[in-house]
Parts: sequence; C-alpha cells; structure tokens
Amino acid sequence: MDEPRPANDAERFLRLAQREERGRLTVYLGAAPGVGKTYRMLQEAARRQAEGLDVLVGVAETHGRSDTAVQLEPFEVLPRRAIAYQGHTLDEFDIDAALERRPGLILVDELAHTNAPGSRHPKRWQDVAELLVSGIDVATTLNIQHIESLNDLVAGFTHVRVRETVPDSILDSAEVIVVDLPPETLIERLRAGKVYLADTAGQALTNFFTPSKLAALRELALRYAAGSVDRRLTDQLTLAGDEGDYAVGERILVAVSPGKGGAQVIRHAKRLADLAYAPWTAVVVESGGARGVAGSQREQLAENLALASSLGAALMTLAATDVAQALVDQARELRASQIVIGKSRRSRWFEWRHGSIAQDVIRKARGIAVQVVPLEDADERPATRGDYSPWRAPLSALAIVAATVGPVFAAQDWLPRGAIDMLLLVPVIVAASLLRTYVGLWAAGFAALAYNYFFTEPRFTLLMNDPADVITFSVLALVAGVIGALAGKVRRQAETSAGVARLNASLARFAGLLGGLSDRESTAAVACREIGALLEVEAIIVSLEGDRLTVRGNPAHAALDLVDEAAARWTLERGEVTGRDTGTLNASDWQFHPLQTALGIMGALGAARPEQGRIIRADDATLLASLIDQTALAHERLVLEDEARQVGTLRERDRLRGALLGSIAHDLRTPLTSVIAAAEAIPAEGAYAEEVLIARSEARRLERFLGDLLEASRIEDGGVKPRIESIDLTDVIHAVLRDLRQNRDGSRVVTRIDDDCPLIASDPVLLRHALINLVDNALKFSPETSAVEIVLEYESSHVACRVRDRGPGLPEQHDTLFERFERLEGSDRVGGTGLGLWIAKNLVEAVGGVISATNRPEGGAEFAVRLPASNPRDEPDDA
Amino acid sequence: MRKDVLIIDDEPAIRRLLIGALDRVTITHVEAATAAEALRIASAAPAPLVALLDLGLPDRDGLEVVPQLAALSLSVIVLTARDATEEKVAALDLGADDFVTKPFDSEELLARIRSALRRKAGPLSTTARRQFASGHIDRDAHEVVVRGEHVDLTPREFDLLWTLADYPGRVVTHDRLLELVWGPAHRHDLNYLRVAVRSLRRKLESNPGEPQLIINEPGVGYRVAG
Repeated sequence: MDEPRPANDAERFLRLAQREERGRLTVYLGAAPGVGKTYRMLQEAARRQAEGLDVLVGVAETHGRSDTAVQLEPFEVLPRRAIAYQGHTLDEFDIDAALERRPGLILVDELAHTNAPGSRHPKRWQDVAELLVSGIDVATTLNIQHIESLNDLVAGFTHVRVRETVPDSILDSAEVIVVDLPPETLIERLRAGKVYLADTAGQALTNFFTPSKLAALRELALRYAAGSVDRRLTDQLTLAGDEGDYAVGERILVAVSPGKGGAQVIRHAKRLADLAYAPWTAVVVESGGARGVAGSQREQLAENLALASSLGAALMTLAATDVAQALVDQARELRASQIVIGKSRRSRWFEWRHGSIAQDVIRKARGIAVQVVPLEDADERPATRGDYSPWRAPLSALAIVAATVGPVFAAQDWLPRGAIDMLLLVPVIVAASLLRTYVGLWAAGFAALAYNYFFTEPRFTLLMNDPADVITFSVLALVAGVIGALAGKVRRQAETSAGVARLNASLARFAGLLGGLSDRESTAAVACREIGALLEVEAIIVSLEGDRLTVRGNPAHAALDLVDEAAARWTLERGEVTGRDTGTLNASDWQFHPLQTALGIMGALGAARPEQGRIIRADDATLLASLIDQTALAHERLVLEDEARQVGTLRERDRLRGALLGSIAHDLRTPLTSVIAAAEAIPAEGAYAEEVLIARSEARRLERFLGDLLEASRIEDGGVKPRIESIDLTDVIHAVLRDLRQNRDGSRVVTRIDDDCPLIASDPVLLRHALINLVDNALKFSPETSAVEIVLEYESSHVACRVRDRGPGLPEQHDTLFERFERLEGSDRVGGTGLGLWIAKNLVEAVGGVISATNRPEGGAEFAVRLPASNPRDEPDDA
Repeated sequence: MRKDVLIIDDEPAIRRLLIGALDRVTITHVEAATAAEALRIASAAPAPLVALLDLGLPDRDGLEVVPQLAALSLSVIVLTARDATEEKVAALDLGADDFVTKPFDSEELLARIRSALRRKAGPLSTTARRQFASGHIDRDAHEVVVRGEHVDLTPREFDLLWTLADYPGRVVTHDRLLELVWGPAHRHDLNYLRVAVRSLRRKLESNPGEPQLIINEPGVGYRVAG
C-alpha cells in the first residue's frame, strides 16, 4: 500500500484534530427497545451532574414509565418547540435554544428520530451533528437496527425493515456504550407491559421479541460496540506512529448500479470496509446506453450514490463502453484489493445473450478479489427501453429491409448473383448504426428471410433446393448478425465519446467565457446563464457582503424568501450542500452548492427547477461539479485581482507618505540648524545656564529625530544603498562618541573595546546611525546616574558590538521591539519617535548584520549588533 | 579692504549667526546669498581668503562652485548635512579644503576657519616642522614628539602622520592619504590605512579608546587635531 496511504493519514489527522474541538458523542446502544437505554443515559448524566458538569436534557422519552420519569427530576429540561403540521401540533427538539444555552452535556434521546416537516433538519441525527460541531457534548440512545450499514442484515433475519436509519459516519467518533439485557429478561419485561411500543411500526417490532432474534441482535450490538472501540484505538495507534493492522492496505471498490439492489451492494461493501478498516470507493460506469436508462432508475442511481457517500465512500464516475474493463482498470489504479459487485438472478439464456458484468469482472480481475453479492430483485436488467413500443424495433427493421429488397428484386436480372447477398447486408448496417443494435439484429433476421423468400429457388417459398443457397443463407444470416452487433457497438462508442467531447467543449467554452470578465455582476450573470442552459435549471449566485445576502446572476430571482435565504446562509457559512433534495433545510425550492476555493467560500450556486423531480440529474452531477469549480475559480480570480489592486493603491499611498515625510524633514532641518547654532552661541553660564543647556540638548535631539524620519523614508523607498568599504569599528564607535558628546547625556557612555578586533567590510555611516540610535535608546531607558556601555568584541567569525544599559530591561513579550512605532510600556514618559530601533535594525540588516536584544542577568537590557568578519587581519606588509 | 571670510548661504538666519560668531572673534567677512554673487565677490580684488560655502544654493549646484572658488585661490570650507557622505567626498575631491556638518557647533566651525586662515597667512612648506594639538613632527630630524616625549614610528607611520599634519585640523580623504603615503597603486587598499592608523594611535594617543589626536570622519577620511 503506497499510494492512497498519505491521503488517508491526512484524513485521519484531520478527523482527530476536528474531534479535539468538536463535542464528544456518547451513544447508548441497545439491541432492542426496552433494554433501558434512556434510563441508563439519565443515570450516567446524573452522576456527571453531581460531579459539577452542566447537564441539559434536550429530549428524553419517558414513555410514561415512572421509574424513568423520576430519573428526570434532577435535570433542567429544555422546553420542546411546537411545530404545526397538517392541523396537528408536533413537539420537537428545539436546537436553536440548545445552541444558545450551550450546556456542557446535552441529552438527546432517540438518535434515529425523524423530525417534523419544517424543522431545520429532516433527521434528529443531523441536529446532533450540529451540536457536536458547535463543541457541545451529546449523549443519545440508539437501537442497533437503525444503523445504516446493518439495516439489511437486521432486516434479513427479522423480516422487519426499519425506515429510520442513522449513517455510520456519525458513530465513527462516538463512544458506544452497550446497554445489555439478557433476552429472557427482556421478554419478561415485555410481557409485564414494561416495554413501550407506541405505534403500528412499534407493534411490528414485536417480531423482534423471540429469544433467537434477540440473541442475534444482542450479538450484533456487542460486536458493533467492540468494533467501534477497535476503530478508535486504531486511529490513535496510527497517529502515534504505530502502523497497526492498517498497513496491510485494504482498499475496496464497489460497483454501483442503478437498481434497488445497488443499495444492498453498497451496504455490504461498507461492512467489508469496516471489518478491514479499509477506505472504499463507489464507482459508477456510464456506458453508452446509460442515457437511455429510464428516469426512475436514474433517480435510484442518484440515491445509491448518496447512500454510498453518507456511508463514507469516495465517489467516482467513469465513462466507458466496457463496464467490466473500466471497473477492473479503476481498481488497479486505486490499488484496490477487492471489488464488490452485485449480480441479479437471471435466466441462463439472458446471461448468454447479454453477458454478465460480474462474470466479466471476475474473468478480468487477475489478482483482485471479487465479491459478488446476489441480489433479491432482478431489476438489474440493463435496459427496459420503456420509451419504445415492443413493435417499434421489428417494424422499423422490416421497413428498412423492405426498402432495400424492393429495388434489388426489381434489378436482380442486371445484378451479378454474388451482389444480391452483399446488398442485403446494407439494411442491417443501416439499422444497427443509425438506430439500435437489436433493431440491426431484427433487420439481420428479416434480410435472411427475404433472401430465402425472394432470391432462392423455389422462389416465394421458404424452401431451398440448392445446397449452395443453404450455405449462402446461413453465411448471410451470420454475417448480418455480427455486423449488426458490431455496428451497434460502434454507434454506442461514438455516442459516448461524442458525449465526453460535448462535455469538454461546454466546459472549455464556460471557462473561456468566465475568464474574460472583470467584475462580479457579469461573472455571475454569465455563469448562471451558461449553467442554466447546460443543466436546464434556474441558477443564481449568492454571496455574503458584510452580513447582507446578495443575489446575483438572474434578474428573475433577485430576492429569496426566508427558507431559501436560510439554506443559502447555511451553505455560505459551512460549505455544505443544502436545500431541495439534500439533508439540510430541504424545504427550500433551491439547492445551494458552495463555491469553495483555497481562499475560502466565494459564494454559493443556487439551482432550482420549476417542475417536479431532482434538480440535478444523476448523470449531470459530474458536469455540475466541474461547472462549480470553474465558477469558484473565476470568483477567486476576481478576489485576487481586487486584492492586487488594493495592495497597489496602498503601496502608492505609502510611497507618497514617505516622500512627504522626507520633504518635511528636509524643510524642518534648515531652521533647526539656525536654532542649534544660536543655542550653542549663547554661553551656558550665569542664571540661565541650565536653560541654555536644555535648549541645546533638546534641539540636538529634535535634529536626530528628523534624521530618523529621513532615514526611515529612505528605508521605505529602498533608497538605502550601503557603501561597503574596509572599516575599523573602533573608528565608528569614536564617531558615535563624538556625536554624543554634544548631548548632555553623552558623558554617561563608556567603551570597552577589544584591541584585536579585525577590520570588517561594511558601511561606516549606516552603522554609526544604527549605533547612535541604540545608545540613544539605552540612555533614554536607564537612570541618569548609570553608565551606558559600548562593548566591542571579536567572536571568531563575527564582530559583536553591544550596547548595555542599567534600565528596567525588556518586557516578557518583546518580539515587536524592532517594529515601527512600537514602544515599550511606559516609554511615553521618555519620548521618542518609535522609529529608532526599527531604523537600527534595517540599517544593520542592510549591511548584512544581525541585531538582537536580551535582558542582562544583572539587570538592564543589552542590544547586540553582530557583523561578519569577512577578511580578518588583512595586514599590510610593513605595519 | 580685504575680507577674511566669504559667507555663501541663502538662509538669512544662518548668515546672521555666522556673522555674529565671526564678529565676536573679530574675523572680517563679506556675505553672498547666491552662487553668482559669490563668484562676483571672489573675482574682485582683493579676494577673500576663505569661502564658507553652503552646498544648497538657489541658483547653482554648490559642487559646481567649489572648483571655481578654489581656482580663484580661496580656501573652501563646505557646509553639508551629516548624512551626505558622497557630497563631502565629492567636494573634497573637487578642491575643497575641508567640510563642516550641519547643524554645526560654532566653536568647531571657528576652529576650522582659523586653521584655514593660518594656512593662507604663512606658507608652511618652507619648514620641515609641523605643529599639532599635542605635539610636533620634524621631517628633517625625523622626530615626533607628543606631550613632550619622543615616539618611535615606522617609516610608513611617519609618512602618514606627516601627510596629516601638513595641514593640521583639515580632513584628508582616504584616497589621498593612500596615494600620498603608499603610492597611486594602493589608492583603494583601505586596509593598509586602517591598520596603520590603529598602530599610530596606540603610539600617540593618551587614551586609544577615545582618540583625541587622529580623528576619523566616517566614510571620508582622517584629520589630525590642529
């Protein structure tokens, strides 16, 4: 198993990661009604409530049993929501109230329950799924026969089929607790009237209550629970790096056929997949004739696919004439270890005539195990061709043959004898290639008979005198039959490839049309028009702008009603398909599909069909998926273009601001030069000595800020161009000291310089500016009486220049220290532009150095500039 | 009557400040607000000795004016912004004597002007002895005395100190020092200069950690305190 594994691991990780944030589901699983699931659930919940957990009862069915009702007393019970339906009022679980209340654990009885029409979800398990997604823990109860993949199995030995099923996927991550009761005890309870069986469906369940059936159900429940523990264990083992049994690499491919039996095959495959912990893929092969499949079968196929998907299968649709070959090829490509296929009971004659796909698969699948599931109902007959009357085929064949025989009969005296049988093949080819294979076969029969009747001695009888005629007749019949079959096959292939070509052409045209558009309105309009035309539906595109739902693309449907809007919002927020024909908010007339891209959900495509029937036909599903992808990509492109434009505008604004800053700083410099010169011309003596010193010092500081502003705008413009030369860092530090001596604080700076520091290649002017900013910063943040140290050290490959202070040090979080306008807590006190450290960092990095900041163990901060010592000790000959 | 200093700056406030500073130390002066006016004054006899030139002039690029003033045998001191390293080097290469960065310290500026005036007043080339802040160097005696003590220098160090001390207080660019001391072939071997300066400082400075005698102008050159 090499190829599919990574995807699988990713899926598992994802599933586990999601589980971290999701609520936990606990399922009390019983073999039959009456084992005491609700009782047990309430008991456990009471224990946990006593431990301090916030427990809410969403739904609990006491069925009038007093012992259960007593159990409910300690809990807060959520009021039910009343839903009016056909004159009745139905009480349903109020999911919105539950979500708002956000308990630590909510009890929702009867997971398989079907909600009243008009509820948010048709099924209660969907309510539970939503609670889990919102991070609420849920406890629920379930009987074994309601589990989707066991449905057939249970129906098989109880002869009762339960309509309310729960997909296995919801139980995947659940903790399953089996509530067990020996069959004899359960039957006693039933006799004592302690088991509630309300309606007729419930009455039918009395069928369950025989010791043998209960024993079987009980075993099933225990096995299921054991399997679920095992599955969760495997997930964790695999995550922990232990390959587990999973490494044997089972993968199962199931062939989905349109009939009712398809569902049976799918459930069987699911069970196999579960047993082997294997991923599985459901494959539909569209052969040439598939479009001829009657409407009801197409519906059935779509339902089968939906079932497979809900049971966790990956879906795949292939187009090929040879169904068996396509299945086997796909199985090899997926490295499937098993193929599961259904086979209906048919007469030997039928199989001899039509061949059996299952037989073909078995013949071709070398090295792959094939499981054949016998189907109960023989509705797998590949074509009922219900749209043709039974007389139509022979009549058209007869007409075509007659149209040929007439002229040939009239002209037979001029025709060479061998030409007549050749000419009689013409109607066969015509019938098979233009109409259908079996019309061709009819034509072959008629042509052979016509030959016998009109052209062999004795004429106008079905007798033949000449033995040569018998041979000619037989050969003609055989050739006509083969040609008819072959021509029919060629036509089917042509149709299939024409279909694929048409599909590709429509997709290419669609992509081309969308590619040229530059705004949302026209993109939506074109997408909706094209999708509408291709799928024969009404289409709209909805998106959220702020909190408002915007509908585009179809002026006839500019507004949605409340239900439609709810479905649209659901799709936009969660990326799920909603609306008609789906499991969520299916009261809506629209079906919404998310336009999902790497950037997120760009919007949703809404589709509606005025008449009855499924909005999206099963054979259009692939086309729809491609169209949605293209539409989503077109929207993504618009978003990216928008962003690019905005970035461009921002950059331009930044550039202007930088230029403005630079020019202001420049203009301020000239008067400031005068101020400084004037302040320094005044002798700092007498009564105003202090004021003069302050004026000088502050004017100098202002000048440095202006220098910072100019340097910052240069950095932003990318205008810092280092002039790299051989420098002695000692020289740079001297220059820094000279500049600082003009500062009142400058005398606090002391240096410690390693005499052996090598020369380095760098820009002395940029480094001087960076160091001045660091020293300035150190002076600003340290007590006026403390020294600021500049230390220069040689560290083998680097020269480090450190600026140390005795200030309060850096705060815990100082990752943003070197960012623009970032100042440390309380630094308003000491003032500054907030640019100093950012400039220092940029200048140091411009010359290939690294700047860092740490706290000193003895208190205070240390800023270090490390510069590579490129050519250490390059001494001249005579120095 | 000959004026000592020609002030060339378009900012009236700066001109007035410079005038005030020169007046206090009784150095005579004349002022110009444009390049054209400055060249007119410099061409008229008797020409001023020193030009104090702000490179940001309204009518001409200040750098163009430098060689013209130098050709009229004025000693040119350029006023530049601190971060304008290339401008400083260009001005010196075009014949300027020295530069002062804005915002300037008037004491420092006056010291430079005095030094330039001294050079104009008496030609130094006739004697083999140059005086600098804390001592002197005598080429004929091959003798260096700092703070009253003899110092032994290698021939290269001696040449370097002599070249710097030839015009004490004035900056000499790296290129020029390398050319004069090591020869034109080594114009760009900055490493030689750095190492030699370091070694000179060890021998001459009282505190090599904060040198007072050989001063570095980052990106431009060195000067010896005059």
